[in-house]
Amino acid sequence: MHVTKKIIKSTLVYIVLAFTAIISLFPIIWVIFSSFKTNAQILSSPFSLPTSIGFDAYGAVFKQTNFLLYTFNSLFIAVISTAVSLIIYAMAAYVIARYDFKGRNLIYSLFVVTLLVPSQSKAQPIFSLIVKFNLYDTKTALVLVYIAAGMAMSLFILKNTFMSIPKDFSEAAWMEGSGFLRTFFSINLPMAKAGMATAGILMFLGNWNEYFFAMLLTTSPISRTLPVALASFNETYSYNYTNMFAALTMAILPGILIYAFAQDQVANSIVSYGIKG
Amino acid sequence: MILVQECFTMKSFTAKQKNLIWIWIFLLPCLLTFLLFYLVPILTLVCTSFTKWDGANLPVFTGLTNYITLFRTPDFQHALINLLLWSIIAGTFHVFFGTLVALILFKEPHGWKFVETVFMIPNVISMAAWAMIYRFVFNGSYGILNGIIRIFSPGFSVNWLFESPYAFIAVTLTWLFYAVVVTLLVLSDLKAIPPDLHEAAQIDGASDWYITLKINLPLCRNSIGTAVICSISARISMYETIALTTRGGPGNDTMNIPLILVNAINDSKYGYANASGMVMLLIGIVLLVIVNKAFRMNESVY
Repeated sequence: MHVTKKIIKSTLVYIVLAFTAIISLFPIIWVIFSSFKTNAQILSSPFSLPTSIGFDAYGAVFKQTNFLLYTFNSLFIAVISTAVSLIIYAMAAYVIARYDFKGRNLIYSLFVVTLLVPSQSKAQPIFSLIVKFNLYDTKTALVLVYIAAGMAMSLFILKNTFMSIPKDFSEAAWMEGSGFLRTFFSINLPMAKAGMATAGILMFLGNWNEYFFAMLLTTSPISRTLPVALASFNETYSYNYTNMFAALTMAILPGILIYAFAQDQVANSIVSYGIKG
Repeated sequence: MILVQECFTMKSFTAKQKNLIWIWIFLLPCLLTFLLFYLVPILTLVCTSFTKWDGANLPVFTGLTNYITLFRTPDFQHALINLLLWSIIAGTFHVFFGTLVALILFKEPHGWKFVETVFMIPNVISMAAWAMIYRFVFNGSYGILNGIIRIFSPGFSVNWLFESPYAFIAVTLTWLFYAVVVTLLVLSDLKAIPPDLHEAAQIDGASDWYITLKINLPLCRNSIGTAVICSISARISMYETIALTTRGGPGNDTMNIPLILVNAINDSKYGYANASGMVMLLIGIVLLVIVNKAFRMNESVY
């Protein structure tokens, strides 16, 4: 009796695990496989394995669309906005973590409570702001919006990082005559590498994948990012599924690769960030 | 000796003043960002939601007109009903599934690390790409879902994204089982439970069920509460998986507030757009207060 109960239990456990793995992986594997199949194969036998591995569809995507340009735009915007965010939020997080000054708690609470505001609810004011700055349909617009979007999360992660660095190092540096800037740049910042990496990876992933504001604030190819371009490929490739799947594969792989290399950081930061939210 | 001490305090005093200047210099970029992209937009949102405004002319105060129109429009009524249904599904089934996976992973059965790793993948790719993938999953003729169903019942044909009531089910399925955030949150709380608590319960002869229900789950109260907030917040702002699949249709079957907001911006009805933005904001705050109370999240667990 006890044994059968145990078998049933472990069977159920593995059914749930298998189901979880399948729903997470299958759609992506299906997209990748389909990019190697012909249109006819996709339509007639959606589950068959590709009969040959050819990269014609990938080449076609580059030839027929501005795929390279969109990838560059996405990369440019994500890298610049992540780098600037890291610098300005590390500076703010450092002084909030280390120095006692008037209004510190108020400022920190104000910055972090922004997390509660759904970013889309501010869509119109931000749209008008960007138009007023004459930045509509520019990469700069998205860089600015993405810098702002990472505020609460980066400050939270980086403040905790700076708080975990022992004060002794700063004090020792100060005793030796190191000023404010040097204490920050050559003592504290290098020791905050882990937190910077975590915040940076999360922000980069978010910025690379962002669709809503990219759609709202750009129209022409010169500033279009990959997620927005993907949506428009749907019309370009309404009858050429192979190319569509090739484009999809290229758009999703970078995110998966970054995750593969920084798995623990991504997972841990989601937890620490969620807990306080 | 006293002189030396005095010198020291003198030095630290000027250093302190110098520091204060640096502190504000360091805060300045962040403060500017806050001002431009949070404070001013939120104030604009609140104020102009009570006005008729097209962006070109000055806003005209119209009181609650935008809100009244909003609540009388079928689009918005449907969006609210959908949001309520989605919130209930997210707060119950979605969180339940994520918690179940967490409880299983906590026992570390074979392959747990693999499952934990791949479960995250849908969360690291663009929601726009995810929506595009799901267009193909739900495609009527060659989609995966119909393909699987046809194995059991040949000839089955439903155009998931364009038929009522299937469209609502299809949009729900794009997120229903993808509960990795819930899983990670609950798992971290499970790992924080002192092991002696489990040992003591086992010595007392408690069954696995008893330990899970009476010890583990109550101790994960905070993370489950957080998970409910995160899951429902994601429903309030769900945009890509609708805009790129059903566009809110058929009819208003899958309408959600962000779609209404974007349409209003495109129609230059800025006051109206901001009224719907305000509703999103307020629903989020109410949700936070309710869940905080329900899960007693401000009280310490141990």
